[in-house]
Amino acid sequence: MMSVWSRRPHFLHLGLFTAAYVLGCGFAQALAIVPGTGISIWPPSGLFMATLILASRHSWPWWVLGGCLAELFSNALWFHNPLSVALLIYTGNVLEAVAGAWLVTWACRRPFRLETLQEVLTLVVLGAGIAPVASATVGSATLAWFGMQTFAAAWPLFWLGDATGVLIVAPLALAVLQNCGGRTQLSAARWMEACVLGLIFLGVAALSLSGHLPSAYIVMPPLLWAAVRFEFKGAAVALTLLALITVVFTISGTSQFVGDPEFQKQMQFALQLFLAISAFSVLTVAAVSRQHQQALLTLRDSERELSQLVDMVPSHVWRLTPDGEPTFFNKRMIDFLGLDVADLDKRGMSRLEAVIETIHPDEAIGFGDALRRSLATGENFALRYRLRRADGVYHWMSSRAEPMRDQNGRIVQWYGLCHDIDDQMHAEEALRRSERELQQLVDALPVHVWSWTPDGKLAYVNKRSLEELGLSGANFEGSTMVAQKLVHPEDAPEVLRTSANCLKAGDAFMMRYRRRCKDGSYRWMEGRCEPLRDQDGTIVHWYQVSIDIDDQMHAEEALRRSERQLQQMIDAVPVRIWSVRPTGGPIYFNKRYQDHFRAVIPNFDALGEPRIETLLQELIHPEDASEVQCTLRNCFDTGGGSAMRFRWREKDGAYRWAECRVEPRRDQDGVIAEWYGVSLDIDHEVRAQEALRERERELSLLVEMVPSHLWRVSPEGETTFANKHMADYFGLDVEDKPRMEAVFNTMFHPDEVDEVWDVFARCLRTGEPFSMTYRLRRHDGVYRWMSGRAEPMRDESGRIVQWFGLCHDIDNQVRAEEALRRASERLARATQAASLAELSASIGHEVNQPLAAIVANSQACHRWLSAEPPNVERAKITAERITRDANSAADVVSRIRALFRQTTNAKSSENINRVISEVCRLMADEIAAKDIRVETNLEPDLPPVALDCVQVQQVLVNLIRNGIEAMEAVVEGARALQIRSSRDDLHAIRVEVRDTGTGFKDADRVFEPFFTTKQHGMGMGLAICRSIIESHGGSLWTANDEARGATVAFTLPLATNGGSATMS
Amino acid sequence: MIKRRPVVAVVDDDPRLLESLENLLESAGYVARSFSSARSLLISGLSGLDVLITDIGMPGMDGFELCDLVKKVRPDLPMFLITGRHEIADADQAEGVSGCFRKPFDAQVMLAAIGDVLRKSKNGG
Repeated sequence: MMSVWSRRPHFLHLGLFTAAYVLGCGFAQALAIVPGTGISIWPPSGLFMATLILASRHSWPWWVLGGCLAELFSNALWFHNPLSVALLIYTGNVLEAVAGAWLVTWACRRPFRLETLQEVLTLVVLGAGIAPVASATVGSATLAWFGMQTFAAAWPLFWLGDATGVLIVAPLALAVLQNCGGRTQLSAARWMEACVLGLIFLGVAALSLSGHLPSAYIVMPPLLWAAVRFEFKGAAVALTLLALITVVFTISGTSQFVGDPEFQKQMQFALQLFLAISAFSVLTVAAVSRQHQQALLTLRDSERELSQLVDMVPSHVWRLTPDGEPTFFNKRMIDFLGLDVADLDKRGMSRLEAVIETIHPDEAIGFGDALRRSLATGENFALRYRLRRADGVYHWMSSRAEPMRDQNGRIVQWYGLCHDIDDQMHAEEALRRSERELQQLVDALPVHVWSWTPDGKLAYVNKRSLEELGLSGANFEGSTMVAQKLVHPEDAPEVLRTSANCLKAGDAFMMRYRRRCKDGSYRWMEGRCEPLRDQDGTIVHWYQVSIDIDDQMHAEEALRRSERQLQQMIDAVPVRIWSVRPTGGPIYFNKRYQDHFRAVIPNFDALGEPRIETLLQELIHPEDASEVQCTLRNCFDTGGGSAMRFRWREKDGAYRWAECRVEPRRDQDGVIAEWYGVSLDIDHEVRAQEALRERERELSLLVEMVPSHLWRVSPEGETTFANKHMADYFGLDVEDKPRMEAVFNTMFHPDEVDEVWDVFARCLRTGEPFSMTYRLRRHDGVYRWMSGRAEPMRDESGRIVQWFGLCHDIDNQVRAEEALRRASERLARATQAASLAELSASIGHEVNQPLAAIVANSQACHRWLSAEPPNVERAKITAERITRDANSAADVVSRIRALFRQTTNAKSSENINRVISEVCRLMADEIAAKDIRVETNLEPDLPPVALDCVQVQQVLVNLIRNGIEAMEAVVEGARALQIRSSRDDLHAIRVEVRDTGTGFKDADRVFEPFFTTKQHGMGMGLAICRSIIESHGGSLWTANDEARGATVAFTLPLATNGGSATMS
Repeated sequence: MIKRRPVVAVVDDDPRLLESLENLLESAGYVARSFSSARSLLISGLSGLDVLITDIGMPGMDGFELCDLVKKVRPDLPMFLITGRHEIADADQAEGVSGCFRKPFDAQVMLAAIGDVLRKSKNGG
């Protein structure tokens, strides 16, 4: 029930249906001209059936209900039948409508459009013919039952009325119901035609039905016209109009079908028959017309499609006459060539020649020949050639043509198809090239490429492989044998076994083995073999590649060796190395580290993989452990390297300083791959550094505290350092540059300032060491004597880097020296007095000697005279000797007197050369007596000397006499005495007396007062000479000559420059 | 039997003193042998000498050195030192020396001292 309710039709449609049904009933009543015979035409049957045909079967109860209401309403209005009769008759009508609708839709399937002849016939036969049987039977039986009519009389009319109703109304209803949504627009011409037709139809119908024309059937031509031209809609409208006109005339009584009452029954039958025949004819014609129109339309469509197909097919389609003249090109071909068949005529040549002209010159002749041969023989034509496109570019085309023959086998036409294979040709060319390149590649590859069939037969060997194995390509079996023989005997069984297994199992093969080369040496090869499988997984082919990996194998071996060496090195280097992965993987420690752990940490091995924290606690000094741990964590967090110093424990429990450097190793992407750490024992270094720092501190302290000025100057002369002592002396701050400049500008005593700066500037310029004595101004304004020295420090290239200077206070020393000098002068005077005593002793000795001889001789003389008899002779001799000795003693005295006679004389400025010349003149006799030659070599223009002339003459006389006496013993050679004077240096002159005698035998003692080597010397000469010279401020010394003889030389200071040359 | 005259050797670098002493000793009946240096005495030899008189201040070997040397060879030989310098007169305390005379010395005293040592050595010997 719910489904019936839910599928209810639109109530507006239901209402309209009911209203139309009522109208239909009214129309039937109007045509019921024969009383008691019921109706002559029953339009509701057509309406009902058409509605059910179009409505869904589930909604049929609603339409039945609507129809029932309409019929009962009509019965009450017009028919006045008892209710039971009305219901039974309606039941018959329902049966008829349901049966008709069901049969029609069963026969024609939905949707039922009433467009084909089959549908029209189905409606006529099943809907109008068979279905009314039900209503006629039920209705007639009802009438008969109630005694209103006989069954036999009622049935035909009933059937015919219903059938006519169906024939007339059902098409109209179908047309109206189906087209109520969309309006078909008619052209103006069609509207005109419709109007003209309508007028003609109305006129003819009016004339014929009103009896002015002999037969009602004259109305048929306009009816058929409407059916032919306007098909079902025209037919339906015309039939409806016909029915209405008939009704009008029937009601008015002017109809042909109104006549005598006895004929009324027949007349009604005739009317029904007229309407039925008209309707049947018109519908049939409309259907045929419709079908014809449809066929025409279909044909046109198909022709258009075919034409489109020919034009749209992506190939050139063309047609030739049997003698080869082109008669058709499809659109693509026209577009391609840029000309149509008709355009070919304009060239002044045959069409075929014009076509050949568009073909590439290389293929044009071949094309013409092939086509003419095909035309002549009737063979199919097939050729590839290049065809010129409209823009002049040639495209490769594949063209085929076949002849069409008539029943007699005569060729009627040639049809050709030609498609663009330019891309394909290029692709094929590229493929061939790529194949050739691939072949070259395979041959050029420095590998051996072999391929095998699935059953293990050799299918391909590349060129290189053949060449290197020394094989010919033909004998593949031989290749296999040779290849097997070439494998190193040690590897061969394994290679054979593995390859056999792989072939059997279909697994990939990969092996490394040694293979003999042409030169007999074995090289490592890597052979790989893999199967190629098709979609089903079946092996199609085996491909094998053998690569020479000898270098790689050796490299790997070298790598392993180098790795081992590296490991040994890491274990051997005297540092401790560790590494750890950033993910916190196991820590690696080199052997030294592990030994260290074992030595320091008890049961270290039991720890397994110790955590860093544990090791830190165990190893590192408690004061350093936390910082080390913190630094390490910081490194791992930030990814930066670090270096830490800490103390670690050694096995004896003592702590030593160590340094650990941590660096990450990063991969190409910059991600940290590993952490490395190196720990070094730097205990010595740290302690040395400490000692060094201590020393530096001490040294710095020393520099600061040394009681001298220490300073440093750049090569340009800028003071870069001054020690504390210096700063304190000047009362300045070393950092205070301007003040320092001011101090430095005024620090020297005005007497020396220019000289000091000059010397210092010269030293800076030349690099020679600086050394000067000068006075420096102290901060309190007091000048103190200083001894300043500076030396340059040079780099490897000898360039001066810095000057270091030292300046110490010698003020006290200078003053002490001054005091000393004064004391010394006093001492000299005291010494002079002391040497007088010594001199007197010397004089005593000189006199005692002859006195002793005199005493002895006089005693002897006395004895000689006292003897018995007196020896007068001896006494005389002795007395003579006494006289001689006494004279000698007197000489001594007189010489001593001469020596000291003028000691008090003042010194005068004298020319030394003049003094020498005078002495030589005085001694000329003595010299001549000894047969000695004197040579004087005096430098002219010598400055005068302040001297005591007599004393210096005594010295010269003494020296000349010494020389003469020294040469007395010399027999051979010239006895020459040489006297020279010269400028000694700036401040002195020099005099030399040189003899050619025996020289000094004991040079150290010649100045001792009583030392003498002379027979008659008294050992005083040189001592006195020296004291005289020294009293003049000069010096006297002796020297032996290389060859022979001796030199005595003395210097005398110049008279003009009495003071010291130095400032001190 | 003829009595042998004692031999006295004198060493001095002053020829005048050597000459005067030789004269004196011969006047006293001795045989005098003069040497200008210690070296010439040692070359001549010490045998046959009865008394030695030597100067102290001489070039080469001086008187003290000569005495030390002679004492080793002839410990019995009486020796006298003579000197011109008063400052070294205390040298007479030198061991094994019979006497020391300062120039100019008293010839009588010297001859007496020589006579004494010769008599002592004769009695002792």
